[in-house]
Amino acid sequence: MWDAAITALGSFLDPSTLLFLMLGVLAGLIVGVIPGLGGTAAVAILLPFIFVLEPTQAMALLIGSVAVVHSSDTISSVLIGIPGSASASVLLLDGHEMAKQGKAARALSIAFLSSMLGGVIGAIGLTIAIPLARPLVLAFGSPEIFMLTVLGISLTALLSKGNLLKGVLAGVFGVLLGQVGAAPTSPDYRFTFDSLFLTEGLDLVAVALGIFGIAEIIALVARRTAISNVASLGSGWGEGIRDVLQNWTHVLRGGLIGIWAGVLPGVGATAGTWMAYGQAQATAKGKDKKKFGKGDPRGIIAPESANNAVEAGDLIPTLLFGIPGGAPAALLLGALLIYGIEPGPRMITNNLDVIYVIIWSFAIASVVGSILCFLMAKPLSKLAFIRFPLLAAGLIPILFMSGFQEVRQLEIFPIMLALGLLGWLMKIYSIPRAPFLIGFVLSIPLERYYYLTANLYEFSEWAMRPGVLVMAAILAAPLVWALYRKIRPGKAAADGAPVDEDALNDAPVSNVWRLALSIGFLIVFVSAYFMAQSFSDAARLLPNIVTILGAALSVGAIILDLQRMKREGPPSAEDKAAWRAQLRIAALSTAWLVAFVALTYVFGLVVCAAIFAPIFLWRVANARWRTIVLYPIVIVAVLLVMREFLGVVLPIGYIYLGV
Amino acid sequence: MKTTKRTTVAVLATTAVLALGACSAPQQGGGGGGGQSGEAAEIPSNVRLVVPYASGGGTDTWARFMAPYVEKHVEGEPSVLVENTPGGESITGSNQFVQSGGTNGEDLLVTSGTTYFQALLGQPEVEFDFATMRPLILNGTGGVVYVSSETGIENVSDLADYSDTLVYGGISATGLDLSLLQAMDVLDIDIDATFGFEGRGPARLALERGEINLDYQTTSAYKTQVEPMVEAGTAVPLFSFGVLEDGEIVRDPALPDLPTLEEVVEEVTGEAPSGEAYEAYRAFLIPGYVYQKGIWANEGTPDEIVDAFRAAATAIAEDEEFLASSEDILGGYPLVSGEEAEDDLAEAFQIEEEVRQYTLDMLETQYDVVVETE
Repeated sequence: MWDAAITALGSFLDPSTLLFLMLGVLAGLIVGVIPGLGGTAAVAILLPFIFVLEPTQAMALLIGSVAVVHSSDTISSVLIGIPGSASASVLLLDGHEMAKQGKAARALSIAFLSSMLGGVIGAIGLTIAIPLARPLVLAFGSPEIFMLTVLGISLTALLSKGNLLKGVLAGVFGVLLGQVGAAPTSPDYRFTFDSLFLTEGLDLVAVALGIFGIAEIIALVARRTAISNVASLGSGWGEGIRDVLQNWTHVLRGGLIGIWAGVLPGVGATAGTWMAYGQAQATAKGKDKKKFGKGDPRGIIAPESANNAVEAGDLIPTLLFGIPGGAPAALLLGALLIYGIEPGPRMITNNLDVIYVIIWSFAIASVVGSILCFLMAKPLSKLAFIRFPLLAAGLIPILFMSGFQEVRQLEIFPIMLALGLLGWLMKIYSIPRAPFLIGFVLSIPLERYYYLTANLYEFSEWAMRPGVLVMAAILAAPLVWALYRKIRPGKAAADGAPVDEDALNDAPVSNVWRLALSIGFLIVFVSAYFMAQSFSDAARLLPNIVTILGAALSVGAIILDLQRMKREGPPSAEDKAAWRAQLRIAALSTAWLVAFVALTYVFGLVVCAAIFAPIFLWRVANARWRTIVLYPIVIVAVLLVMREFLGVVLPIGYIYLGV
Repeated sequence: MKTTKRTTVAVLATTAVLALGACSAPQQGGGGGGGQSGEAAEIPSNVRLVVPYASGGGTDTWARFMAPYVEKHVEGEPSVLVENTPGGESITGSNQFVQSGGTNGEDLLVTSGTTYFQALLGQPEVEFDFATMRPLILNGTGGVVYVSSETGIENVSDLADYSDTLVYGGISATGLDLSLLQAMDVLDIDIDATFGFEGRGPARLALERGEINLDYQTTSAYKTQVEPMVEAGTAVPLFSFGVLEDGEIVRDPALPDLPTLEEVVEEVTGEAPSGEAYEAYRAFLIPGYVYQKGIWANEGTPDEIVDAFRAAATAIAEDEEFLASSEDILGGYPLVSGEEAEDDLAEAFQIEEEVRQYTLDMLETQYDVVVETE
């Protein structure tokens, strides 16, 4: 075994292998920085090369890019509050919060160091897993995967601070949205409104960019301030490194969760990182727990260690079973086949050297990638001090462009916009968006593995499996704990007071709108319930559970909202005026976004950006004339360069003007 | 008041855009104009292979592997680009191709068995008709049906006496799983099928875990993943789907030791398979496996262009470099020019109404699967 490892390391003495590894790292980093583009886009760039290179070089190139995408996608999440990829949305909590407090440097150094260590843990995990993984993976059957998805959704919902009911409501709503499209267990299409476009379901990247990214633009664009009100990056680089070293157990735990999330089918990077965050928060004690979401270093360390490790974990089923976990792994599989290497049980005996080339590539890329991120961070971090409208002129086209990539249909633009509005409402009313995203991601796996479990096992058989029992216990623990505290009223009064997350959102909000939002959820769940009645039995099962649960939770939310209205009484004139001002800002931002989408429908993205950007810069950003002229040229050039060199596809409109 | 007005305007505008999106969005991709009939057709200098599946999947890998050889062997050496338009069990991309792909050879469609099955079953969304489209380059694959040794089955003749019900794990009854269901129908064996697996890989893992005990894999996956299980004594192969030779299904040269379904039936009943169940099996098997992957041009593409690509198919099949590296990626199955396959395919896609109805009925009565047809 060690011989093969050393021989494989020797192949990096060949400068061409190292060169291709570095090229892969660079491609991965660049793609990762662009909000919304991730592993799949990196693969798209590298595709043409894979089929013409030597096997070792091709492996180095591919692994190099895959290993670092999750290092650089942190940057935009932390600095500008726009998720760099779906899985980096978790950094919006503590990472972005730190940046807002002027500790961007500290947040970034924590993130990069954790990423590096997560990658190395992933590589070590891969080495150890090679002989061990097969029995482990086989021990984890459908019932266990089903329980894990339930655990993933519930944990994020239960950990929503102070807003438990609405956290669960958001999670259930995410599950419902994830049901749109082809049912996994029967040939039904659900909630597609007869549109072929919706049959594939909603794309994760578009949903994450809508609910977090567009929402941020709606909230901020017309407010005309910078993201950080602190005028410098802050030093904090050393402090960040100390944070990581002090919390090394979180690095290890995050890394292990990441590997496992990668190994199991259907879990993936987004759910894996959020689970890592969830466990870090859940295991923090008492008062300490409340620091999460307000810039706690552990809220960065756990998910960042996890997301690089996920990609390593993903390689285990690819290499040992020939089952790719995602597009990058599938491509790796294809490349291996071309060179006559067949992933599968025989690979360990026949091609151990190739496995070690992959592992070494992963480890080296993680380290180099993180170092390059450190170097990139300083210049890039100035972004946080630019007035947001200036930033938005470039961000709006890039966000929509990213959401378009997987889907390749323009219908996704209005959907992103609608999700952006929803995200904004959830943001100002402190309805946590994390459970929503996790519910969305895990919706289909949850249904798939529930159905398989129920069909392949008797209930008494699967419910008593040890893995299932352990996860059920983890799930029940917070509930039992909450009940226990309720029973002992004396103690409950002391620390049981819910943290009012509204404190984070200083601007006054309208209680009538809050109530309307809850009623809106109720209407959606009730109508979805009636729509679901036309599906076949297998396709109706989960929608029924979800809509009934969602409707009940909505009613609960409505009651809470009514109680709150009664308690707080009518708003003061001052609050009313402030709310109106906030509403005006959002309406204005939305109007600009609507204009952008409409323009794209007519002229396509490139011409739209060329028309939109100067007007936007002039009217909203109050930019100087030089900026108004030069900046749009840069935006258009960036879009065209991405099309030319990154394999990005730009939407065209009704009127085609040559681009 | 001003606020309310602005809000109203914004809400109205948003609704308008949403409605616009719901009605009709501008067509993406396509754009290759129609071929002018009458003029001599020219081989285009840029060719786009439209793959209606996601990047990184089996069909995509096949297309990307083929692209450089198409580039090299088509007259005039056009540059070949692969583009993915995934979605809707490949219906979305294929529909788009038919609507806007043109007939000048600039856009060509890459297909797989799943695409064919949707057309054969008469899914209402399907707008493409392979009976009139022009096949250019085709390539088949094979498959092996096997069981877990925990069933106690030692060879295919034990199948008839098996007292328990075999448990099968599938992806979707209307996808490639259909051929297995039809094979079991031919053998008159009731199975307990659960659909909803993410792919054939996870289904194979479920067999290894003992959750299911009946599975099939394509030849390449069988050789790399299942053969080690057979050697270890945990899996037992039953039969292969075979290959087509002069209109007859014969033993797969890649799997010389495994009988075909036809041989199994003959051994059990003493005569060659016939009847509705077998006709249905065969109707789907030929497009689904024998010509599983293909590059197609739209109906009305001039013969000059069609012939150029068909000639390239023959040339690629003899290319030394191709032969050396295609063994693993194509599983050793030969590349066939559209000319050779045209008759088989035209016959396959003019599926008889009774055969289709038989298949739909079988899905409904045995597996509770109702396919909405027009």
